[in-house]
Order: sequence, then C-alpha cells, then structure tokens
Amino acid sequence: MSDVTPKYKGSVLRPLKALANLWREPATLPMEPRPAAPNYRGFHLNDWKLCIGCGTCQEICDNAAIRMVQIPDLPTDAKAGVKPRRPAIDYGRCCWCALCVDICPTGSLSLSREYIHVSSDIDSYFILPDEKGIHGLGFEKGWSKSETSDLLDHQRQEMECLPAEEALSGFGELVPGYDTQAAVLEASRCIQCGMCHEACPTGMNAPEYIRALWQGDREKAVAEIYRTNPLAQVCGRICTHACETACSVGRRGAPVAIRWLKRHAMDSVPPDQIREIAIAGKAEEPSGRRVSIIGAGPAGLTAAFDLAKKGHAVTIYEARSKPGGMMRFGIPEYRLPYHNLDADIDVIRASGVEILCNTAIGRDVSMAQIRGASDAVLISTGLWAARSARVPGTDHPRVLSAIRVLEAITQGEDFGVPRRAVVVGGGNVAFDVARSVARLQKARYGEVAMDVIALEDRDHMLADEEEVREAAGEGIDLFNSWGPKSIQINDGSIVALETVRCISLKDAEGRFHPKYDESTMVSHAADTVIEAIGQSADTSYLGKELVEALEWSRGRLKIDRAGRTSEPWLWAAGDMVEGPDVVHAIAAGHRAAASIDEVLAHMAVKPGNVA
Amino acid sequence: MRPENYKPVRHPPSHEYELYFGPNHPGIEGNYAIRVRLKGDVVQEAITDAGYLHRGFEKIMEERLWVQNVALVPRICVPDPVPMEESYARAVETLGGIEVPERAQWIRVLMLEMSRICAHLFTFGGNAATIGLYTNMFWGVTMRDLFLDIFEEITGARIYHMYITPGGVRRDLPDGVLDRLAAVLDELERKKPEFDDLFFENAVVINRATGVGVLTQAQALAWGVTGPNLRACGLAHDVRRDDPYLVYPALKFDIPTATSGCSLARMHVRRAEVEQSVRILRQVMERLRTVGGPVRAHLPNPLAWNVPAGEAYARTESSKGELAFFAVSNGGPKPWRIQVRGPSQMHGVQVLERILEGARIEDVAQIMFSLDACPPEIDR
Amino acid sequence: MTSQRASVPAQLDHILHEMSEVRVTPKGERRVRVDLAADRLPTLLQLLKGHGGFLHLSSISCVDWPETDEFELVYHVWSYESKMLISAHTLIAKSPGRFVSVYDIHAPAGFYERDIHEMYGVHFEGSPNLNKFILTSWHGPPPMLKSFDTRAYVDETYAWRDYNPQWLKDIAAKGGGIEE
Repeated sequence: MSDVTPKYKGSVLRPLKALANLWREPATLPMEPRPAAPNYRGFHLNDWKLCIGCGTCQEICDNAAIRMVQIPDLPTDAKAGVKPRRPAIDYGRCCWCALCVDICPTGSLSLSREYIHVSSDIDSYFILPDEKGIHGLGFEKGWSKSETSDLLDHQRQEMECLPAEEALSGFGELVPGYDTQAAVLEASRCIQCGMCHEACPTGMNAPEYIRALWQGDREKAVAEIYRTNPLAQVCGRICTHACETACSVGRRGAPVAIRWLKRHAMDSVPPDQIREIAIAGKAEEPSGRRVSIIGAGPAGLTAAFDLAKKGHAVTIYEARSKPGGMMRFGIPEYRLPYHNLDADIDVIRASGVEILCNTAIGRDVSMAQIRGASDAVLISTGLWAARSARVPGTDHPRVLSAIRVLEAITQGEDFGVPRRAVVVGGGNVAFDVARSVARLQKARYGEVAMDVIALEDRDHMLADEEEVREAAGEGIDLFNSWGPKSIQINDGSIVALETVRCISLKDAEGRFHPKYDESTMVSHAADTVIEAIGQSADTSYLGKELVEALEWSRGRLKIDRAGRTSEPWLWAAGDMVEGPDVVHAIAAGHRAAASIDEVLAHMAVKPGNVA
Repeated sequence: MRPENYKPVRHPPSHEYELYFGPNHPGIEGNYAIRVRLKGDVVQEAITDAGYLHRGFEKIMEERLWVQNVALVPRICVPDPVPMEESYARAVETLGGIEVPERAQWIRVLMLEMSRICAHLFTFGGNAATIGLYTNMFWGVTMRDLFLDIFEEITGARIYHMYITPGGVRRDLPDGVLDRLAAVLDELERKKPEFDDLFFENAVVINRATGVGVLTQAQALAWGVTGPNLRACGLAHDVRRDDPYLVYPALKFDIPTATSGCSLARMHVRRAEVEQSVRILRQVMERLRTVGGPVRAHLPNPLAWNVPAGEAYARTESSKGELAFFAVSNGGPKPWRIQVRGPSQMHGVQVLERILEGARIEDVAQIMFSLDACPPEIDR
Repeated sequence: MTSQRASVPAQLDHILHEMSEVRVTPKGERRVRVDLAADRLPTLLQLLKGHGGFLHLSSISCVDWPETDEFELVYHVWSYESKMLISAHTLIAKSPGRFVSVYDIHAPAGFYERDIHEMYGVHFEGSPNLNKFILTSWHGPPPMLKSFDTRAYVDETYAWRDYNPQWLKDIAAKGGGIEE
C-alpha cells in the first residue's frame, strides 16, 4: 500500500503563490436562479385528467405530507375506478423524496424543475398541485415516471390453466387456484385504495380480505368476504370482477387478481370453519316472520341467507331438481364445479334456510298458497326463456337454445351431440355452450367441429377475453361481424347456416339495430344450430290475476330501488328484473332482503307463525 | 445539554478554568460541543456533549415502511450521505436475499466514490479554517459544488439523494452524465496543485498540524478507530477491500497509509484517498459505458412488503471510516430495529476526549476537525 | 456442544471448542452468528480477542423483544487478520436489565454501553460512564423501548398546525375538504 506520510517541510513563501490569482478572471455568478437538472425533484405537478384520486401517494408518503382533498365538482366513476379527490401537499413536511411519484398508479404525479418559493404566509406552503405547479408558472416536469421506476408490482402472479388438450378431455376445472405463496404475493400487490369496493355491486370488502390474506389470516379473509357475499366459492370462480376493472394497479400493470384471491380464501379454509364464520352474528331469537322466496338462484339464495340471519323463517321454492339456478344449469362445470356451488349452498342451508326443490309454482303449489303462508314473498326466477333470431329455419328441431343445451348437460340428458355445430352469439353464454359442446364432441367423435358467429367485431366482443382466447385454443372457430341469414335444410336435416356481413350494430341513436351487407355471404356447414342471443323472463307462473295487478315497464316487472314491486308483499330480484350477472343478482338479493327485513320489523306478527 | 442549562463548574480561584466549545463551532461539521478544562493553555480534560442533532432516526425508522426509510437515511450524515443509503439498502437486501443487478452495483460505487470526494473536499476546507485559512474552504466547497451538479443530474437532488434503494438504484443514469463527470474529474485534477499549494505545502498548515493530535496504532486499535484516522497510523484496513461489497473486488485501487498518526498525516491520507477515488471513478465510468441491464431488482409493492425475519450487519467504508447498519426484521412491513454504527461514534467521542488531553487550546479545533467527526452520525 | 461448524474456519473452530453451549451459524462469506448465554459472553470476547485476533469491537446492538420481556444484545467483533465479523447474540431479562460491561476487553464498549443505557435503560456494571449523553434534557422513559410510542408522545406534546389557504376555503364552500 502507498505510504503518504508527510515529509515535505514547506516554505513560508508558498502562500504567496496565491498572488497569481490577482490576474485571474473574477468568478461572477448571475443573480437569477440557475435552471434545475432535467431530473430535478422540485415542487409537485399533478395531471388532474390522469389522477384518479386513489390516495396511494398519501399512503407512501413517509412524512404524512400528503392529504387527500374531496372536490365535489370533479367527475367520479366507481366502475372505472375514479374518485373525486386530489392530493394536497404540505411543504412544511414534504422532503421531496418523490416516492409518491414512483408509486403513483396512473403516473399523474411528477416533480417539477421549480424549486423556489418564498413567502411569510404559512398557508402558501399547503398546495393542491395541478399540471401548472405551485405558482402556475408551468415549469416543466423534473422527476417523473419512467418505465423502470415504478414502485408498484405490475406483474400478476401467474394462474395456471389446463392445457387445451387436457381441458377438452372433460369438464375438469380449468384453473387450479393459487397456492398459499402465490396468494400472499398476489395479495401484497394491493395498494388498499378501495376502488374495487366502490366498483363491486355488492360493495365487497376486498381491500380488507386481501390485506388479511397477505397477513396470513385466512379466517379473517373469509369473514370479510361473508360480510357482503354468501356465494363466494361461486364468485371466486366466475364473477365478472368489475373490481379488477376498477383496480388502480391495473392502470399501468395487471390489476390485482381479486377474484382469484377470494377463491383462494374460500378454498383454503375448511367447510365447517367457513360455516361457523358465515353464521356468526345470526339472530339468537326467531323473529316469528315467514318469508317465501321463489327461485334458488343467486338473488334468492342471498336474500334467504340475509333474512335467515335476521331470524326470519325462510323457505325457497325451486322448480328444478337442485338449487343454484343459472349457477348450476347455465355455467359449465369446468368453470364452476358443482361441489363448490354445493359448498356455498350448504352454508346458506346451515343458516336456517329451507330449500324445497322440484317445487314449481303453479304446478306443485299455487302463488296464492305461498302468499297466504308468508309475511313477504320474493321472486327471483331468472331468465329462462330463450330468444331466437327468428330467421328462416329456426323452427327446426335441431335449432337449439344455448340455455337448454347447458341445462341438459348439467342434468346429464342426451340432447344429441352434434357432429358439426354453429353457435350464434358473441357473449359469455355463447362461449359456455360452444366450449361445453366441444368437449362432448371431442369425447364422442374425437374432434371439435364448432363455429361461433358473433355480430360484434373482434375488438368489441361481449365475452371475456380469456373465454375467447381459451376457446380458440380448444379448436373453436370464431367469426366476427357476421349475422345469421337463414338455415339451409336438406331432406329435413340442417346442412348449413348462411351468414351475412354485419356492417354496423347500432343506429344513430345508439340503439341496437344491426345493418347487414347482404351481398357478402358465408355458409357454415352444420347439423345443429345453437342460439345464444339472449334470454327473457317467463313470469306465467305468477298467474293472470297477479300479472294484471302488478305494474310493468317495457315488459319487465317494475320495482323500486330496493326490489319492491307495486304489490306491498312482493319483491323481485335478480336477472328477471335487473341482470346482468351473478354478482348483480347477489347485490339485488341483499337490497331486497334489507327492504323486506325493514318492512317486517313494522308489521304485526301473524298468529301461528311464532316458531 | 441546552446552552442555557450549562452551569460551569466552580473551581477554586486558580489558573484552572473551563471553556465550552460549541455547539456551533467551525471545528465541527454540525452542532456538537466539548467542555474543555484548561490549566493555562493546556487541556486537562475534555468532555464531549452531544444531542444537539438528535433526531431519533433509529426510532423513527421502526415506524416506517422499509422503502420509506430510503428518504430518511441520507440525512444521518450531511457531508457524506451516500454510504448511509448504501448501508441501509444492503442491510435490507441481505435480509431479503435480494440480488442487486450489476449495472446498479456500478452506479452505486460511482455514487459512493463521488460522495467520498465531496466529503474530503469539505474536510480540507474545514480543517484549514480551524487554523485561520479560509480560502481552502471556499475552494473546497466550490469544487464540491461541481460534484453536486452531477449528483443533481443523476438523482434530482444535490445533498439528500435518496437514490440508492433496496434492490438497486431508483433511476438509470441520464444520457451524457458520464462525460460531464469526466470533465469534473479533470477539473479536480487540474486544481490539485493549487489545493496542494494552499494546504499541504503551506508552511502554516505544516507547522500547525505536524505532530499534533497524534494517535498511535495501538491506541487507534484499542479505541475502535477506523477509516482514514486508522490508516494514518499505519494500518491499511479498508472495508472496501477487507470486507468487500458491490463490485469493489473488480476495481484497482490503493489503500493509502501514513505512519505518524498526526493531524497532518490524517489529511494526507484523505488527500491520497481523493486521488484513489478519482482512479476508481474512471474505472467505473469505463465499465458503465458497457454494462447494461436493469438498475433495480423486481420487488414487491412497498406498501405490503414483508421483509423476511432475520438480522443483517452491513458495513461500508465511508469517508470517515467503518459505517455499519444493523437491521433486524421480525418478518413485518417495517424494520423491527435499525442501528446505525457511525465511525464518528468512536473518534468523535472517547477518542477525541483522550487525544485532546495535553493539547494546547489553539490546537483543539484543529484536532477535532482533523479527526473528521460527523456529529449527526453520533447523535442520529 | 451444539454447533454446526460446516463452514466455520478451523481457527475459529478451535477457539469455540473451548466454550460450551455455543451455537454457531455461518451467515455468509465473512459473517458468523454465535448464540450463547449471557454469562459466557465476556469469556467469548476475551477468547476471540486473545486467540483469534478479533481486536475490533465494531459495535454493540440492543434489540427490545417485549413479547419475551428480553433485551437481545449483539456484540459485533471483527478480526483484521481473518477478515471476519462475528456477531455474538445473547439475551438478558428486561428486568432488572443489568449486564456486565466489556469495557476492559474492548474500550469502544464505553460508548455503546452508554448509548444503550440511555436509549434502552440497560445498566452495564463496570462501564466507565453511563451519564446521559444525547438526551440530556429528556426526563421520560428510555425512548428506544418498544413501549414508548413516539407518535402518542408527539400528539400529547405538540399541537398540529392546520392550514387554511384560499383554495381550501373555496372547496369547503362547495362541500368538499380534506379527508380525515
């Protein structure tokens, strides 16, 4: 190593060298502030058009210098995950670390190159930054978001999916769910902004259950889930997850897999423990009220669970052989295994709900009987009547409705597995039926021969993207922007579906009114056509008298916000009145139950009803 | 102790008296005081008095998320903040088993060596000021400012960079910054003869600092002295070489030592270290032109990042000596314990007290500064 | 003797062989963790210094573990010869919170013991100076204890300053304002 021990003795004349500086140019610096570096961390800028008011900047701020301010005249959009609030910065506390910039999910925040603020007015140090900066001078951005600087974890924990070949070989569940490690890592991606809570029709406590999962407390997660959702095994699998659309992390990365986390919580806690958690808080004394619910779908089951927990005696009348409604007979088993649905329903039963299956109104029991035996009645019978395109040939017996085919598959009935089929429709039901039938084709004929005809173009598909992608992997051919023209029948058998090019979907007023280019036609060879273009409610069971007494609006039963019909004893909920999916039905079930409970509280007890 | 609470000890009427150095004194980088008992102009006893800069960092760090502390650590030592960032980040990386991408390691060394040069430039100025030479201070600070411009360009801030983060650094280098740094290094080397004239070859300095405040190697080892102060007594120990971190093993540099252990020897060691840092920086800049890749490891969302339970002791060679962060995690989102072991805790307290005994009053400030103690590091 | 000595150098192994009830855990290339009972600690430091060249006490760390009512003391010693850091961990009961000073083995201990005494309230018998150092004007409990809540202290002691700039008044007039 180098020894630098001083040896030099020095000379008194050395400092005189400094005299040479007399001839140097003086060092003069200008008085005005020097421009800051391009990367400078000066006062904040916030692009209000990008900012969604999630408040993550406030969470990361190490000095509590950021406070969220509610601004009433700002736009708000729960579905898109936008709150009418913006961050305000306290420059008495800020240390310009720019962690707020690095974590901002939208990239709206940045620090500017402006760095001078002098004032004796203390209030001037608390600012609500916009894109023009603290003094409105429009300084350019300094430290701002870059591709690599994000503090958020933008990568979702991967969810495995059965390979197409294996998926096609049966009705086994497509996705296995997260293991514990993946679930904790995925849960750690959540920033607890609560956008999902607002976006969910049921207002679920997703931030709370995600945080609980991250902390390893799965029981607490289940308890949080049950606060708003008694069909969590179902929703953890097939929910349309509006929450993930609103998720702030999804602004620049993949949204938190909120649905899979719910599923993980439900899958990892044993059933009897779930039951205990779910039923906790049930009224100890029966109320003496009796509520009848018609239809054991998601709306009816949810309302039944809520009402039973309040101490009311609840009976559900279900026409089919098993409860669940569309969840059982509409959604294919590979997306929602029956035992998971049964697990949710078992908990609902355990809360005290009585479910009478194979009991159709008008056939096994009359509406009047039910009304007479109940303090309140809720109808939630869904949409089971299939719509038809009504083009020439749709009256052929091998033109089937998607909902009938799906029901037959669940029931194990033989509906005649087609050799070549065409599904008409571009929504999730179309893909459910196409993929279910494809599995049967594979089993029976060894190959898939399935076309799906959708009116929408590829970028505006109604079905979920993953459905479309997985279907393609399973050998199903999708034809976009085509509409059915006619069905070719030869010797009494269907041979093909003729389709024409769809050139526009909506008219000038935005109403559904497809226009076709009749000159462009394509023929799809098929022996069976399956229509999946929508369903309607069949309300004939209500009886003529009640149908006439009730108020209707455009063919739908008219209800108030809580689901109450024009008859004071009758509520309606679910697809038959609102739609469009399970989670909305659950939300409607909650609303109806709350309304019923409130009305019952103010009603005299019918004699003989006290248990 | 607050100055208003200070009650001088009443001594019998004699030639013994007490002086209170500080808490604001040019002989110290920061607020710090020394009670000096004198007989004539010879120090009989010196008692250090800290606490003016106590900000409770170790306590506050327990209440913040792992990533939030990145904003806190550089503040522990104003003149040399980068080793603080490096030690903290490395402690967290050790706990979390995080691998720092190679490019980030080179950038960190760049930052560390620039910080060392800045700190030493500061010390030259301060040390000269204690013996009445202020030009050095102005020149040192001016030179340092050129480095601060580079820091500002890279990190967006001049002093508290908050740039090194667990897993790497927060941003990649801006375009062209290496060329501008090269120009600053050239300027530093061009100015070197002038600094030498002003300080190291200045008879005033030589006569005032030679043989003053001597620390023998045995004393230095017994009292836990590290860094340039230890090397000035002849022991070539440097954490960068003996307990290496980042890419230091891939770099060529000497460890300057001196044998006399006096104030001037310590300053000579620092001067030679600046030369070595320039040498290191030139190698780093060369490598940074070719080494690509990410500058930050992929880490979980900082709001919900549980660092695995365990403990880590991350040592860094700062401009003042051995800096270490002892970090304990209980597996939670916040540190359970962070201890800052600043080198000045040794040479700024017990060592200073001993070395001042027998010194003359006019040398007290000079000795204090030649040890290059950083009071905020002691106070934390 | 309970130890996993796999990657502990022979020289160190030799020293630790003289000690009983010591658990040795290699933690990396130049880091070894040693766990031992508090009463054995001075002996270990003495042995390491005398026979292993562990001359440099880098620092003493204190960790508060309220769940077990213990303090963990960690002595970090470095050898300039073998270029290795041994961290010796030991636990002492929080009550009475007394331990022996190692000042006569390692003089730097004077500073660390004084610091730990001030911040955690541990009393080191034989330490040369346990007078207040940093917190001379502080009369509360040792602040580094987990039981001392900084935020609560600040809330009790100081008033939070509120701002009321014009823009905030305008927003408040429309029904908005700062979210709590």
